[in-house]
Amino acid sequence: MIALQVDNLCVKADNRHLIENITFSVEEGRIIAIIGPNGAGKTTLIKAVLGLIPYETGTVSLFGQPFKNNHSDIKVGYVPQRLEFDRTIPLTVSELLGFTLPPLYSVPFLKKKGAREHIDGLLNIVGAQALARRSIGSLSGGELQRVMIAKAIVNDPKVLFLDEPASGVDIEGQERFHDLVKRLNREKGLTVILISHDLNVVYRYADNVLCMNRKLICKGRPEETLTDEVIKSMYGEMMGAYTHSCHEHD
Amino acid sequence: MISEFISYPFIQRALLASVMVGILCPFVGNFVVLRRMSFYSDAISHSAFAGIAAGALLGIDLSLSSIIVAVFIAVVIAFLSEKTGLSHDTVIGIAFSGAIAAGMLVMGMLKGYRTDMFTFLFGDILAITERDILMIFFVGMLTIIILLTFLKPFLQITFNRDLARVEGISVRFFEYLLFLIIAVVVTVSLKIIGMILVTSLLIVPAASAKNLASSMKRLFVYSCIFGVVSGVLGLAMSIYLDTSSGPTIVLVSIGIFFLTMIKRE
Repeated sequence: MIALQVDNLCVKADNRHLIENITFSVEEGRIIAIIGPNGAGKTTLIKAVLGLIPYETGTVSLFGQPFKNNHSDIKVGYVPQRLEFDRTIPLTVSELLGFTLPPLYSVPFLKKKGAREHIDGLLNIVGAQALARRSIGSLSGGELQRVMIAKAIVNDPKVLFLDEPASGVDIEGQERFHDLVKRLNREKGLTVILISHDLNVVYRYADNVLCMNRKLICKGRPEETLTDEVIKSMYGEMMGAYTHSCHEHD
Repeated sequence: MISEFISYPFIQRALLASVMVGILCPFVGNFVVLRRMSFYSDAISHSAFAGIAAGALLGIDLSLSSIIVAVFIAVVIAFLSEKTGLSHDTVIGIAFSGAIAAGMLVMGMLKGYRTDMFTFLFGDILAITERDILMIFFVGMLTIIILLTFLKPFLQITFNRDLARVEGISVRFFEYLLFLIIAVVVTVSLKIIGMILVTSLLIVPAASAKNLASSMKRLFVYSCIFGVVSGVLGLAMSIYLDTSSGPTIVLVSIGIFFLTMIKRE
Protein backbone atom coordinates (compact mmCIF):
# COMPACT_ATOMS: atom_id res chain seq x y z
CA MET A 1 0.00 0.00 0.00
CA ILE A 2 1.15 3.56 -0.69
CA ALA A 3 1.85 5.26 2.65
CA LEU A 4 2.66 8.74 1.32
CA GLN A 5 1.70 10.20 -2.01
CA VAL A 6 2.92 13.68 -2.98
CA ASP A 7 1.76 15.18 -6.29
CA ASN A 8 3.05 18.32 -8.02
CA LEU A 9 4.00 20.04 -4.81
CA CYS A 10 5.16 23.65 -5.27
CA VAL A 11 6.27 26.01 -2.53
CA LYS A 12 6.92 29.65 -3.32
CA ALA A 13 8.42 32.48 -1.29
CA ASP A 14 8.88 36.03 -2.60
CA ASN A 15 7.76 34.90 -6.07
CA ARG A 16 10.54 32.33 -6.18
CA HIS A 17 10.07 28.58 -6.23
CA LEU A 18 11.61 26.88 -3.22
CA ILE A 19 10.43 23.54 -4.56
CA GLU A 20 8.76 22.91 -7.87
CA ASN A 21 6.44 20.12 -9.04
CA ILE A 22 7.71 17.46 -6.69
CA THR A 23 5.92 14.15 -7.21
CA PHE A 24 6.79 10.93 -5.43
CA SER A 25 5.26 8.11 -3.43
CA VAL A 26 6.49 5.93 -0.60
CA GLU A 27 5.32 2.39 -0.01
CA GLU A 28 4.28 1.34 3.47
CA GLY A 29 7.11 0.05 5.64
CA ARG A 30 9.88 1.47 3.46
CA ILE A 31 12.69 3.88 4.29
CA ILE A 32 13.12 6.62 1.73
CA ALA A 33 16.06 8.99 1.89
CA ILE A 34 15.85 12.50 0.48
CA ILE A 35 19.19 13.91 -0.60
CA GLY A 36 20.33 17.10 -2.27
CA PRO A 37 22.79 19.97 -1.81
CA ASN A 38 22.28 22.77 0.73
CA GLY A 39 19.34 24.95 -0.28
CA ALA A 40 17.85 22.19 -2.44
CA GLY A 41 14.53 22.45 -0.58
CA LYS A 42 14.66 19.17 1.37
CA THR A 43 13.50 20.68 4.67
CA THR A 44 10.95 22.82 2.79
CA LEU A 45 9.56 19.64 1.21
CA ILE A 46 9.15 17.87 4.55
CA LYS A 47 7.67 20.97 6.21
CA ALA A 48 5.21 21.44 3.35
CA VAL A 49 4.19 17.77 3.48
CA LEU A 50 3.65 18.10 7.25
CA GLY A 51 1.61 21.29 6.81
CA LEU A 52 4.12 23.43 8.72
CA ILE A 53 4.48 25.79 5.77
CA PRO A 54 1.82 26.50 3.12
CA TYR A 55 2.23 25.21 -0.40
CA GLU A 56 1.16 26.94 -3.58
CA THR A 57 -0.12 23.92 -5.47
CA GLY A 58 -0.12 20.16 -5.16
CA THR A 59 -1.63 17.48 -2.95
CA VAL A 60 -0.41 15.29 -0.12
CA SER A 61 -2.13 12.12 0.97
CA LEU A 62 -1.37 9.56 3.65
CA PHE A 63 -2.67 6.03 3.13
CA GLY A 64 -5.07 7.37 0.52
CA GLN A 65 -6.47 10.15 2.74
CA PRO A 66 -5.81 13.84 2.04
CA PHE A 67 -3.33 15.17 4.58
CA LYS A 68 -3.49 18.89 5.19
CA ASN A 69 -2.63 20.81 8.38
CA ASN A 70 -2.34 17.51 10.24
CA HIS A 71 -6.10 17.09 10.38
CA SER A 72 -5.99 13.37 9.84
CA ASP A 73 -6.66 10.23 11.82
CA ILE A 74 -3.31 8.89 10.69
CA LYS A 75 -0.59 9.81 13.13
CA VAL A 76 2.83 10.92 11.99
CA GLY A 77 6.04 11.50 13.92
CA TYR A 78 8.59 14.22 13.22
CA VAL A 79 12.14 14.88 14.36
CA PRO A 80 13.31 18.28 13.08
CA GLN A 81 16.80 19.19 11.93
CA ARG A 82 17.57 21.64 14.71
CA LEU A 83 15.17 21.48 17.58
CA GLU A 84 14.61 24.99 18.84
CA PHE A 85 13.54 25.16 22.46
CA ASP A 86 14.42 27.02 25.63
CA ARG A 87 17.22 24.96 27.19
CA THR A 88 16.46 26.45 30.61
CA ILE A 89 12.89 25.07 30.62
CA PRO A 90 12.33 22.95 33.74
CA LEU A 91 10.99 19.93 31.92
CA THR A 92 12.03 16.33 32.46
CA VAL A 93 12.23 13.74 29.71
CA SER A 94 9.34 11.73 31.17
CA GLU A 95 7.20 14.88 31.48
CA LEU A 96 7.84 15.74 27.83
CA LEU A 97 6.77 12.27 26.75
CA GLY A 98 3.81 12.38 29.15
CA PHE A 99 2.52 15.62 27.57
CA THR A 100 2.50 13.88 24.19
CA LEU A 101 0.60 10.84 25.48
CA PRO A 102 -3.10 10.69 24.63
CA PRO A 103 -5.66 11.85 25.61
CA LEU A 104 -4.52 15.35 24.71
CA TYR A 105 -7.11 17.14 26.81
CA SER A 106 -6.44 15.68 30.20
CA VAL A 107 -4.76 16.96 33.34
CA PRO A 108 -1.09 16.02 33.32
CA PHE A 109 0.97 15.34 36.48
CA LEU A 110 -1.67 12.87 37.69
CA LYS A 111 -0.40 9.31 37.94
CA LYS A 112 -2.31 7.37 35.34
CA LYS A 113 -2.32 3.60 35.15
CA GLY A 114 -0.11 2.40 32.35
CA ALA A 115 1.32 5.82 31.45
CA ARG A 116 4.52 5.32 33.45
CA GLU A 117 5.03 1.86 31.92
CA HIS A 118 4.37 3.20 28.43
CA ILE A 119 6.96 5.97 28.85
CA ASP A 120 9.51 3.56 30.34
CA GLY A 121 8.86 1.17 27.44
CA LEU A 122 9.45 3.93 24.88
CA LEU A 123 12.66 5.04 26.57
CA ASN A 124 13.77 1.43 26.67
CA ILE A 125 13.18 1.07 22.90
CA VAL A 126 15.41 4.08 22.16
CA GLY A 127 18.00 3.12 24.79
CA ALA A 128 17.31 6.16 26.96
CA GLN A 129 15.79 4.61 30.08
CA ALA A 130 18.41 6.29 32.29
CA LEU A 131 17.31 9.72 31.04
CA ALA A 132 13.70 9.66 32.35
CA ARG A 133 14.29 12.11 35.20
CA ARG A 134 16.88 14.24 33.43
CA SER A 135 16.06 17.80 32.42
CA ILE A 136 15.53 18.04 28.66
CA GLY A 137 17.94 21.00 28.45
CA SER A 138 20.80 19.01 30.00
CA LEU A 139 20.87 16.28 27.34
CA SER A 140 23.70 15.88 24.86
CA GLY A 141 22.96 15.99 21.11
CA GLY A 142 22.79 12.19 20.82
CA GLU A 143 20.66 11.78 23.94
CA LEU A 144 18.26 14.48 22.78
CA GLN A 145 17.84 12.82 19.39
CA ARG A 146 16.98 9.49 21.00
CA VAL A 147 14.45 11.21 23.26
CA MET A 148 12.98 13.03 20.27
CA ILE A 149 12.57 9.69 18.48
CA ALA A 150 10.76 8.39 21.58
CA LYS A 151 8.54 11.50 21.48
CA ALA A 152 7.90 11.01 17.77
CA ILE A 153 6.69 7.42 18.30
CA VAL A 154 4.63 8.03 21.46
CA ASN A 155 1.34 8.01 19.57
CA ASP A 156 2.23 4.98 17.49
CA PRO A 157 2.64 6.84 14.19
CA LYS A 158 2.44 5.18 10.79
CA VAL A 159 4.98 7.48 9.17
CA LEU A 160 8.12 9.00 10.66
CA PHE A 161 9.70 12.14 9.17
CA LEU A 162 13.35 12.68 10.10
CA ASP A 163 15.07 15.86 8.96
CA GLU A 164 18.82 15.27 9.24
CA PRO A 165 18.18 13.92 12.70
CA ALA A 166 21.77 12.98 13.46
CA SER A 167 23.43 16.24 12.42
CA GLY A 168 25.68 17.53 15.18
CA VAL A 169 25.97 14.07 16.75
CA ASP A 170 29.29 12.19 16.83
CA ILE A 171 29.93 9.28 14.42
CA GLU A 172 29.13 6.58 17.00
CA GLY A 173 25.94 8.41 18.01
CA GLN A 174 24.91 8.74 14.35
CA GLU A 175 25.35 5.03 13.78
CA ARG A 176 23.35 4.13 16.91
CA PHE A 177 20.64 6.52 15.81
CA HIS A 178 20.32 5.12 12.31
CA ASP A 179 20.39 1.55 13.64
CA LEU A 180 17.52 2.50 15.94
CA VAL A 181 15.53 3.93 13.02
CA LYS A 182 16.12 0.76 11.01
CA ARG A 183 15.02 -1.38 13.98
CA LEU A 184 11.80 0.65 14.38
CA ASN A 185 11.18 0.31 10.67
CA ARG A 186 11.53 -3.47 10.89
CA GLU A 187 9.78 -4.13 14.18
CA LYS A 188 6.93 -1.63 13.99
CA GLY A 189 6.59 -1.52 10.22
CA LEU A 190 7.15 2.24 10.31
CA THR A 191 7.43 4.09 7.03
CA VAL A 192 10.42 6.44 7.32
CA ILE A 193 11.13 9.59 5.29
CA LEU A 194 14.70 10.57 6.08
CA ILE A 195 16.68 13.61 4.96
CA SER A 196 20.39 12.95 4.99
CA HIS A 197 23.56 14.51 3.65
CA ASP A 198 25.45 11.31 4.24
CA LEU A 199 25.49 9.03 1.18
CA ASN A 200 26.85 6.25 3.37
CA VAL A 201 23.63 6.38 5.45
CA VAL A 202 21.56 6.35 2.27
CA TYR A 203 23.27 3.23 0.93
CA ARG A 204 23.11 1.39 4.25
CA TYR A 205 19.64 2.19 5.48
CA ALA A 206 17.38 3.45 2.67
CA ASP A 207 15.24 1.25 0.43
CA ASN A 208 14.79 4.13 -1.98
CA VAL A 209 16.34 7.50 -2.56
CA LEU A 210 14.90 10.74 -3.86
CA CYS A 211 17.41 13.26 -5.21
CA MET A 212 16.33 16.86 -5.50
CA ASN A 213 17.57 20.33 -6.18
CA ARG A 214 14.38 22.38 -6.00
CA LYS A 215 13.05 19.94 -8.61
CA LEU A 216 13.09 16.19 -8.50
CA ILE A 217 16.28 14.90 -10.13
CA CYS A 218 15.99 11.18 -9.63
CA LYS A 219 14.29 8.48 -7.58
CA GLY A 220 14.79 4.76 -7.16
CA ARG A 221 16.99 2.26 -5.36
CA PRO A 222 20.21 3.94 -4.13
CA GLU A 223 22.63 1.58 -5.86
CA GLU A 224 20.83 2.03 -9.18
CA THR A 225 19.98 5.71 -8.89
CA LEU A 226 23.04 7.33 -7.36
CA THR A 227 25.29 7.25 -10.38
CA ASP A 228 28.43 9.36 -10.69
CA GLU A 229 26.60 11.59 -13.14
CA VAL A 230 23.65 12.21 -10.79
CA ILE A 231 25.86 12.95 -7.80
CA LYS A 232 28.11 15.31 -9.76
CA SER A 233 25.08 17.13 -11.11
CA MET A 234 23.90 17.72 -7.54
CA TYR A 235 27.09 18.25 -5.59
CA GLY A 236 29.68 19.22 -8.21
CA GLU A 237 32.66 17.59 -9.86
CA MET A 238 34.52 16.85 -6.60
CA MET A 239 31.93 14.28 -5.55
CA GLY A 240 31.40 10.77 -6.88
CA ALA A 241 29.37 7.69 -6.06
CA TYR A 242 30.67 4.76 -4.13
CA THR A 243 28.93 1.68 -2.90
CA HIS A 244 29.29 0.76 0.72
CA SER A 245 30.38 -2.81 1.27
CA CYS A 246 28.14 -3.64 4.26
CA HIS A 247 24.50 -2.97 3.63
CA GLU A 248 22.74 -3.46 6.90
CA HIS A 249 23.43 -3.64 10.56
CA ASP A 250 21.66 -6.18 12.65
CA MET B 1 -2.39 42.36 67.59
CA ILE B 2 -2.52 39.91 64.66
CA SER B 3 -5.84 38.41 65.83
CA GLU B 4 -7.25 41.90 66.23
CA PHE B 5 -6.29 42.77 62.66
CA ILE B 6 -7.64 39.51 61.28
CA SER B 7 -11.01 40.21 62.91
CA TYR B 8 -11.55 43.18 60.57
CA PRO B 9 -13.61 42.15 57.53
CA PHE B 10 -11.54 44.31 55.15
CA ILE B 11 -8.35 42.54 56.32
CA GLN B 12 -10.04 39.14 55.85
CA ARG B 13 -11.04 40.13 52.33
CA ALA B 14 -7.52 41.41 51.63
CA LEU B 15 -5.99 38.13 52.88
CA LEU B 16 -8.37 36.06 50.80
CA ALA B 17 -7.66 38.19 47.72
CA SER B 18 -3.89 37.95 48.21
CA VAL B 19 -4.10 34.13 48.47
CA MET B 20 -6.29 33.84 45.37
CA VAL B 21 -4.23 36.25 43.27
CA GLY B 22 -1.07 34.68 44.73
CA ILE B 23 -2.11 31.37 43.15
CA LEU B 24 -3.75 32.68 39.98
CA CYS B 25 -1.10 35.16 38.78
CA PRO B 26 1.95 32.85 39.10
CA PHE B 27 0.01 29.92 37.60
CA VAL B 28 -0.61 31.98 34.46
CA GLY B 29 2.75 33.74 34.91
CA ASN B 30 4.61 30.47 34.30
CA PHE B 31 3.49 30.66 30.66
CA VAL B 32 4.43 34.35 30.51
CA VAL B 33 7.96 33.52 31.70
CA LEU B 34 8.42 30.34 29.64
CA ARG B 35 7.03 31.99 26.49
CA ARG B 36 8.95 35.24 27.13
CA MET B 37 5.77 37.30 27.07
CA SER B 38 6.62 39.75 29.87
CA PHE B 39 6.32 42.77 27.59
CA TYR B 40 2.93 41.52 26.42
CA SER B 41 1.55 41.22 29.97
CA ASP B 42 2.94 44.66 30.79
CA ALA B 43 1.30 46.10 27.67
CA ILE B 44 -2.05 44.51 28.55
CA SER B 45 -2.01 45.88 32.09
CA HIS B 46 -1.25 49.39 30.79
CA SER B 47 -3.84 49.03 28.03
CA ALA B 48 -6.49 48.47 30.70
CA PHE B 49 -6.00 52.17 31.44
CA ALA B 50 -7.97 53.00 28.28
CA GLY B 51 -10.77 50.72 29.49
CA ILE B 52 -10.84 52.36 32.91
CA ALA B 53 -10.98 55.83 31.35
CA ALA B 54 -13.71 54.74 28.92
CA GLY B 55 -15.68 53.14 31.78
CA ALA B 56 -15.46 56.35 33.79
CA LEU B 57 -16.63 58.42 30.81
CA LEU B 58 -19.55 56.12 29.97
CA GLY B 59 -20.49 55.54 33.58
CA ILE B 60 -20.10 51.75 33.47
CA ASP B 61 -18.29 49.41 35.87
CA LEU B 62 -14.54 50.07 35.64
CA SER B 63 -13.58 46.40 36.13
CA LEU B 64 -15.85 45.38 33.29
CA SER B 65 -14.69 48.15 30.95
CA SER B 66 -11.01 47.38 31.68
CA ILE B 67 -11.55 43.67 30.90
CA ILE B 68 -13.36 44.47 27.63
CA VAL B 69 -10.59 46.82 26.43
CA ALA B 70 -7.76 44.50 27.58
CA VAL B 71 -9.34 41.55 25.75
CA PHE B 72 -9.82 43.74 22.65
CA ILE B 73 -6.15 44.82 22.74
CA ALA B 74 -5.10 41.16 23.25
CA VAL B 75 -7.02 40.15 20.11
CA VAL B 76 -5.56 43.10 18.15
CA ILE B 77 -2.01 42.08 19.17
CA ALA B 78 -2.60 38.43 18.24
CA PHE B 79 -4.22 39.40 14.93
CA LEU B 80 -1.52 41.92 13.92
CA SER B 81 1.29 39.53 14.90
CA GLU B 82 -0.22 36.89 12.66
CA LYS B 83 -1.10 39.09 9.69
CA THR B 84 1.68 41.69 9.43
CA GLY B 85 4.83 39.61 9.81
CA LEU B 86 6.17 42.31 12.15
CA SER B 87 8.00 41.16 15.26
CA HIS B 88 5.88 40.51 18.31
CA ASP B 89 7.39 43.31 20.39
CA THR B 90 6.81 45.85 17.58
CA VAL B 91 3.12 44.91 17.36
CA ILE B 92 2.80 45.04 21.15
CA GLY B 93 4.47 48.48 21.14
CA ILE B 94 1.97 49.79 18.57
CA ALA B 95 -1.14 48.42 20.35
CA PHE B 96 0.17 49.42 23.76
CA SER B 97 0.96 53.05 22.88
CA GLY B 98 -2.33 53.34 20.98
CA ALA B 99 -4.29 52.18 24.03
CA ILE B 100 -2.40 54.51 26.39
CA ALA B 101 -2.91 57.47 24.03
CA ALA B 102 -6.64 56.68 23.75
CA GLY B 103 -6.88 56.38 27.54
CA MET B 104 -5.18 59.76 28.05
CA LEU B 105 -7.46 61.35 25.48
CA VAL B 106 -10.59 59.99 27.17
CA MET B 107 -9.25 60.93 30.62
CA GLY B 108 -8.94 64.53 29.43
CA MET B 109 -12.67 64.54 28.68
CA LEU B 110 -13.57 63.55 32.25
CA LYS B 111 -14.74 66.18 34.68
CA GLY B 112 -13.66 66.22 38.32
CA TYR B 113 -11.33 64.01 40.34
CA ARG B 114 -11.96 60.24 40.19
CA THR B 115 -10.43 58.41 43.18
CA ASP B 116 -11.72 55.02 41.93
CA MET B 117 -9.50 55.35 38.87
CA PHE B 118 -6.46 55.64 41.09
CA THR B 119 -7.37 52.34 42.80
CA PHE B 120 -6.77 50.68 39.42
CA LEU B 121 -3.59 52.63 38.76
CA PHE B 122 -1.83 51.86 42.03
CA GLY B 123 -3.99 49.08 43.54
CA ASP B 124 -5.53 48.98 46.99
CA ILE B 125 -5.96 45.52 48.43
CA LEU B 126 -7.60 46.93 51.57
CA ALA B 127 -10.37 48.45 49.45
CA ILE B 128 -11.37 45.08 47.98
CA THR B 129 -15.12 44.43 48.14
CA GLU B 130 -17.01 41.14 48.41
CA ARG B 131 -18.01 41.57 44.79
CA ASP B 132 -14.31 41.85 43.80
CA ILE B 133 -13.55 38.67 45.77
CA LEU B 134 -16.31 36.80 43.97
CA MET B 135 -15.07 38.04 40.60
CA ILE B 136 -11.47 36.97 41.30
CA PHE B 137 -12.75 33.59 42.57
CA PHE B 138 -14.85 32.81 39.51
CA VAL B 139 -12.32 34.12 36.98
CA GLY B 140 -9.57 32.28 38.84
CA MET B 141 -11.44 28.98 38.94
CA LEU B 142 -12.39 29.21 35.28
CA THR B 143 -8.82 30.12 34.27
CA ILE B 144 -7.26 27.28 36.24
CA ILE B 145 -9.81 24.74 34.93
CA ILE B 146 -9.11 25.86 31.33
CA LEU B 147 -5.34 25.82 31.83
CA LEU B 148 -5.34 22.40 33.49
CA THR B 149 -7.61 20.92 30.82
CA PHE B 150 -5.43 22.28 28.01
CA LEU B 151 -2.11 22.09 29.85
CA LYS B 152 -0.71 19.41 27.55
CA PRO B 153 -1.24 21.42 24.32
CA PHE B 154 -0.13 24.66 26.02
CA LEU B 155 3.10 23.03 27.20
CA GLN B 156 3.72 21.30 23.89
CA ILE B 157 3.41 24.66 22.10
CA THR B 158 5.71 26.21 24.71
CA PHE B 159 8.29 23.50 24.04
CA ASN B 160 8.18 23.67 20.24
CA ARG B 161 5.42 25.01 17.99
CA ASP B 162 6.25 22.85 14.96
CA LEU B 163 6.20 19.61 16.97
CA ALA B 164 2.89 20.67 18.51
CA ARG B 165 1.43 21.26 15.03
CA VAL B 166 2.57 17.83 13.87
CA GLU B 167 0.77 16.36 16.91
CA GLY B 168 -2.41 17.89 15.47
CA ILE B 169 -2.65 20.75 17.99
CA SER B 170 -4.29 23.94 16.72
CA VAL B 171 -1.45 26.29 17.68
CA ARG B 172 -3.39 29.36 16.49
CA PHE B 173 -6.39 28.61 18.72
CA PHE B 174 -4.26 28.05 21.81
CA GLU B 175 -2.16 31.18 21.14
CA TYR B 176 -5.35 33.29 21.08
CA LEU B 177 -6.68 31.51 24.16
CA LEU B 178 -3.48 32.18 26.14
CA PHE B 179 -3.51 35.85 25.08
CA LEU B 180 -7.10 36.16 26.33
CA ILE B 181 -6.40 34.36 29.60
CA ILE B 182 -3.44 36.64 30.37
CA ALA B 183 -5.55 39.70 29.53
CA VAL B 184 -8.39 38.64 31.85
CA VAL B 185 -6.10 37.62 34.73
CA VAL B 186 -4.15 40.87 34.51
CA THR B 187 -7.29 43.00 34.59
CA VAL B 188 -8.98 41.20 37.50
CA SER B 189 -5.78 41.61 39.52
CA LEU B 190 -5.52 45.34 38.84
CA LYS B 191 -7.50 46.45 41.91
CA ILE B 192 -5.18 44.50 44.19
CA ILE B 193 -1.75 45.33 42.91
CA GLY B 194 -2.35 48.18 40.47
CA MET B 195 -1.75 48.64 36.79
CA ILE B 196 1.89 49.62 37.20
CA LEU B 197 2.92 46.60 39.27
CA VAL B 198 0.53 43.81 38.29
CA THR B 199 2.98 42.26 35.82
CA SER B 200 5.46 41.68 38.62
CA LEU B 201 3.04 39.29 40.38
CA LEU B 202 2.79 37.34 37.14
CA ILE B 203 6.50 37.21 36.44
CA VAL B 204 8.48 37.32 39.70
CA PRO B 205 7.09 34.22 41.51
CA ALA B 206 7.30 32.24 38.25
CA ALA B 207 10.90 33.41 37.69
CA SER B 208 11.79 32.50 41.30
CA ALA B 209 10.25 29.04 40.81
CA LYS B 210 12.19 28.59 37.56
CA ASN B 211 15.40 29.23 39.50
CA LEU B 212 14.70 26.18 41.67
CA ALA B 213 12.44 23.81 39.74
CA SER B 214 13.85 20.76 38.02
CA SER B 215 10.51 19.71 36.56
CA MET B 216 7.34 21.32 35.22
CA LYS B 217 5.29 19.97 38.12
CA ARG B 218 7.62 21.65 40.61
CA LEU B 219 7.58 24.88 38.61
CA PHE B 220 3.80 25.17 39.04
CA VAL B 221 3.86 24.17 42.72
CA TYR B 222 6.78 26.47 43.68
CA SER B 223 5.45 29.48 41.76
CA CYS B 224 2.06 29.28 43.50
CA ILE B 225 3.73 28.90 46.92
CA PHE B 226 5.94 31.94 46.23
CA GLY B 227 2.90 33.90 45.00
CA VAL B 228 0.86 33.16 48.12
CA VAL B 229 3.81 33.85 50.47
CA SER B 230 4.50 37.16 48.66
CA GLY B 231 0.83 38.17 48.89
CA VAL B 232 0.23 37.25 52.53
CA LEU B 233 3.64 38.32 53.87
CA GLY B 234 3.56 41.52 51.81
CA LEU B 235 0.10 42.36 53.12
CA ALA B 236 1.11 41.66 56.74
CA MET B 237 4.26 43.76 56.36
CA SER B 238 2.35 46.62 54.76
CA ILE B 239 -0.07 46.67 57.73
CA TYR B 240 2.75 46.42 60.26
CA LEU B 241 5.00 49.00 58.59
CA ASP B 242 2.09 51.18 57.42
CA THR B 243 3.25 51.08 53.80
CA SER B 244 1.33 50.72 50.54
CA SER B 245 0.24 47.11 50.11
CA GLY B 246 0.91 46.67 46.34
CA PRO B 247 4.57 47.79 46.35
CA THR B 248 5.23 45.86 49.60
CA ILE B 249 3.87 42.63 48.06
CA VAL B 250 6.04 43.17 44.97
CA LEU B 251 9.17 43.89 47.03
CA VAL B 252 8.62 40.73 49.11
CA SER B 253 8.31 38.69 45.90
CA ILE B 254 11.53 40.25 44.58
CA GLY B 255 13.21 39.39 47.91
CA ILE B 256 12.15 35.75 47.39
CA PHE B 257 13.53 35.93 43.86
CA PHE B 258 16.97 36.96 45.13
CA LEU B 259 16.89 34.20 47.76
CA THR B 260 16.19 31.64 45.04
CA MET B 261 19.09 33.10 43.05
CA ILE B 262 21.43 32.38 45.98
CA LYS B 263 20.05 28.85 46.28
CA ARG B 264 20.51 28.37 42.53
CA GLU B 265 24.14 29.48 42.72
